[in-house]
Amino acid sequence: MSAIHPSEVRTPTAGPAPDGTPTAGPAPDGRVDADLDAVAASPAARRWLERDGDGRVGAAHDGELRLLARFCASLGTTPDELVAQCTRATKSGDTAISAAGRRRTDQAISAFVVAEGAVGRDAIVLGNTLRSFLIHNGIFLQGPAAIE
Amino acid sequence: MEFNRVVGTRRSIRFFKSWRPVEREKLQVMFEAANRASRSMNADYFRAVVVNRDDLDAETRDALRNPTTTADLDLAPTYIFWYIDLDYVAGAQDRLKELVEQHALPAAHGWSKAYVDDFLWPQVLEPISKDPNAVVFMGAVETGIAICNAINAAVDQGLGTCMHAFTANDKIKPLLGVPDTWLPVWLQLVGYPAEEPEAGGQRPRRPISKLFFEGHCSRPFEEDPEVTERLEREGMIQAPGPFPYRAQEVRMLSRMYGLPE
Repeated sequence: MSAIHPSEVRTPTAGPAPDGTPTAGPAPDGRVDADLDAVAASPAARRWLERDGDGRVGAAHDGELRLLARFCASLGTTPDELVAQCTRATKSGDTAISAAGRRRTDQAISAFVVAEGAVGRDAIVLGNTLRSFLIHNGIFLQGPAAIE
Repeated sequence: MEFNRVVGTRRSIRFFKSWRPVEREKLQVMFEAANRASRSMNADYFRAVVVNRDDLDAETRDALRNPTTTADLDLAPTYIFWYIDLDYVAGAQDRLKELVEQHALPAAHGWSKAYVDDFLWPQVLEPISKDPNAVVFMGAVETGIAICNAINAAVDQGLGTCMHAFTANDKIKPLLGVPDTWLPVWLQLVGYPAEEPEAGGQRPRRPISKLFFEGHCSRPFEEDPEVTERLEREGMIQAPGPFPYRAQEVRMLSRMYGLPE
């Protein structure tokens, strides 16, 4: 997967995406990342976007999808691989959550938020939006709350 | 609050008013309630350490965090770390004889100091104290009874509370100076609910006829509708969840705190 072009990344002054997702980096210039459709089509991403069961999978989740795409690009992975990295196979052949994988992914989210230049509440929401993707794919995970 | 309403109002609260501390006197009430709980051997099975989130420095707070407890620790202003003290059998002989002297354990029921010294201690209690499985089993049951009293005391005082598993004991133990004989059981979060105290309605429970039996396991304990109606009036049985606005309530609380949706 190729990296998202820097011009796709939004600045804090750009304000939230249509779905309310806070953004960071320069404002979008309208170009559509070629990988965005692939990210949107992945089963893990669809499971996330369909979490409300209200059919909102389009523009309503645009900011979330772009954020996920940027995160995946930063790691050189796909949404499905991201979820898989948080799981492991047990001796009996079942799938279990990998504590180490989850910890690594959580740390990757924190590092990504810093790299995005988000601060304060925006940083918390940005990270927790990515955690939401993992949560709705079965990975029990918590992030910080904005309490200050 | 009347007892039946306390029992019926209890919920596992997961959204706290992060800005509102818990008064120390309310914690004392919780601890006194726990200390009044039923316990075999009159033993002190449990220990607890209360920690106010805002008394912790940033480094310590970060040390307690892990990927599965971060939001919980941020939202709750007060944490109570509950332990079993695996040494609880020590002193049981003297405590039981004290109860004999108080006529709490009367001869009418077979109790005497001689029984405690000559038979109960050497043949029952001391062997139990050397069986790790029995020690943990009894300790867990009796500590749970004490925690239940603390939970209800919290609810009675308008507090919210939720029990969580310990997941970072290796970090917590040195931070709190926990002795080696203490076994972690639960982390109790305490605070004022940010969600409505009803937290979206009473949780689903199976009817008592599925859980309780009369005389024989094949004979369900059938409820008396008149008693059920009284319990509804008195608040033990409350409107079931989810309230029509519960999803929106959770969504708005999540947004207030920047939590995942």
